[in-house]
Amino acid sequence: MVLSQKLHEVYKGAMERFTPPRTVSAFKEKGVLSVDEFVLAGDNLVAKCPTWSWEAGDSSKRKPFLPANKQFLITRNVPCLRRASAIEEEYEAAGGEVLLDNDDDDGWLATHGKPKEKEAKADEEILPSLDALEISNRKTIQSISSHFGGEEEEDIPDMAEYEDFEGVTDPATLPTTYMVACEPDEDAILRTRTYDVSITYDKYYQTPRVWLTGYDESRRVLDLKSVMDDVSQDHARKTVTPGNHPHMSGDHVTVHPCQHAAVMKKIIDVLMSRGVEPEVDK
Amino acid sequence: MAESTVLQFSPFQSHVEEGFWKRLSSLKLNTLGLDETPVKITGFYGPCSHAQVSSHLYLLDESLPANLAEESSSSEMVLGNRNRCPIPGTLYNTNTLESFRGLDKQSLIRKEAKKIWEEICSGRVEAACAVLSRFLVISYADLKKWTFHYWFAFPALVLNPSALVSKLQPASEWFNLEEGKSLSEACNEWRKSSLTAAVPFFLVIITADSHVTLRPLKDWETCQRDGHKLLFGFYDPCHLPSNPGWPLRNFLAFICSRCKIEKIQFLCYRERHGLADLTHSLVGEALVSISQEWKNPQFIPEAVGWERNGSKLAPRRIDLATSMDPIRLAMSAA
Repeated sequence: MVLSQKLHEVYKGAMERFTPPRTVSAFKEKGVLSVDEFVLAGDNLVAKCPTWSWEAGDSSKRKPFLPANKQFLITRNVPCLRRASAIEEEYEAAGGEVLLDNDDDDGWLATHGKPKEKEAKADEEILPSLDALEISNRKTIQSISSHFGGEEEEDIPDMAEYEDFEGVTDPATLPTTYMVACEPDEDAILRTRTYDVSITYDKYYQTPRVWLTGYDESRRVLDLKSVMDDVSQDHARKTVTPGNHPHMSGDHVTVHPCQHAAVMKKIIDVLMSRGVEPEVDK
Repeated sequence: MAESTVLQFSPFQSHVEEGFWKRLSSLKLNTLGLDETPVKITGFYGPCSHAQVSSHLYLLDESLPANLAEESSSSEMVLGNRNRCPIPGTLYNTNTLESFRGLDKQSLIRKEAKKIWEEICSGRVEAACAVLSRFLVISYADLKKWTFHYWFAFPALVLNPSALVSKLQPASEWFNLEEGKSLSEACNEWRKSSLTAAVPFFLVIITADSHVTLRPLKDWETCQRDGHKLLFGFYDPCHLPSNPGWPLRNFLAFICSRCKIEKIQFLCYRERHGLADLTHSLVGEALVSISQEWKNPQFIPEAVGWERNGSKLAPRRIDLATSMDPIRLAMSAA
């Protein structure tokens, strides 16, 4: 992390400590969420999309302004299945992609195509954001080999020592080769990349914040670079950056919340101009 | 009927989040010291929810008690939810790499298998069915280098002879339309209620008028007496259309030794978008024969289940120096 970023974190931490949490709704005016609205929207997400659940997280990292058992939302083991082009086609077919602001350099897209109105959710996080699921066509998997250590390292016990001390005699264990056989080519292995996606409440920006941790097909943590390869190039390193998760350990990337409220505001304005009354749990 | 073949189970896969190792490190430094007493831990898993990837058994920071004194009083803290059913486990953390290597893995897994067997015989499984999926982890935490060596075992009682499978097909093909609809509703209801959402084994009762209800395991005697169609359901972490997942192994052992059924119809319950998915779920018929020795109360079945690392039976190692070593952290922050 760069120094300026560090400084900002410290500043933000200090501000968070002294600013009372937002209790009055300013959802329609500013696109921000109060704590209660975050919890309400989260409850709704969990109810309508049950692969998400609330977590309490590490008790030492708990935020006092959130209920102890509702600190953040998480969905684990989301496969990164298809390539960006396939997803884009599908979403276009569903008529879900709306260019929100042509002039903006960032080219903000409401990438959460919603063919079914019922599924619309509070904060465009109904499903892991499309950003999370886009796979760059050019890139292949690069996991941190050092993270798990190579087999040749000297303090790794000799494999032969363990071979066949059980197992071979058990005909009911599905051999691993069989499972590998289900993944016929490189492409299929690429598909089995998975992500854990979580949503926290960012008190400073008064918005939800999305976090991602990626894994390769053998459940090794993807390094930040590889995760960035899965994020559309428009967003990588601009709005999507590495960061420290407030409740969990390990490497995470996050959709930076500084633009979130502005984007929500635009969505709300569009809705209101069509005569729809936006609600936080919709 | 198709020819019977040996029923093969897809092994459970483990996943450990970094938070677990961090908490283990602080527990070791602040509380455990050189104490090598096994520690009770809690693993979490849920039914497979994507057709392409299996679910894992997770260890999170909450898998370990924050401090050991809290262990007994805070047992209600590791409450699960529908996406993480708590499974009891045992952690053997050693002080040196030599003692890690020197652990008698065969006897450790037998010890866990003995617990499972006794819990089947005593009826405890009916009250707390998650004990059927008991697991153990051996580990060595090198706190100087911030590397962790570990190895999971998911003990499975070995049926001898092996269970045979005569039919295994998508649940949507096995049930008629009405039954399927009723089953989906019943499953979604089971998964929604906070009382049952984290209960990974259950009974499926189908009445003559195609109405499906789910019942807890403890009702197996009544359900058998009622004479309705009876299936044994479990949360299946496996995604393969061709094989059931690991938890079914001990479930079959329970069913044949406790309920004395030799022709077992089972439901591998799997989901999509958090709802029952009958095209992904499987129904099969397993044929087991209860061997004479299983009737002997002193007998303890053989167990298998050490996790493979790739295709090899070997431990895993994770290096967390970049995120845990204070010197490196200070360097990267500068």
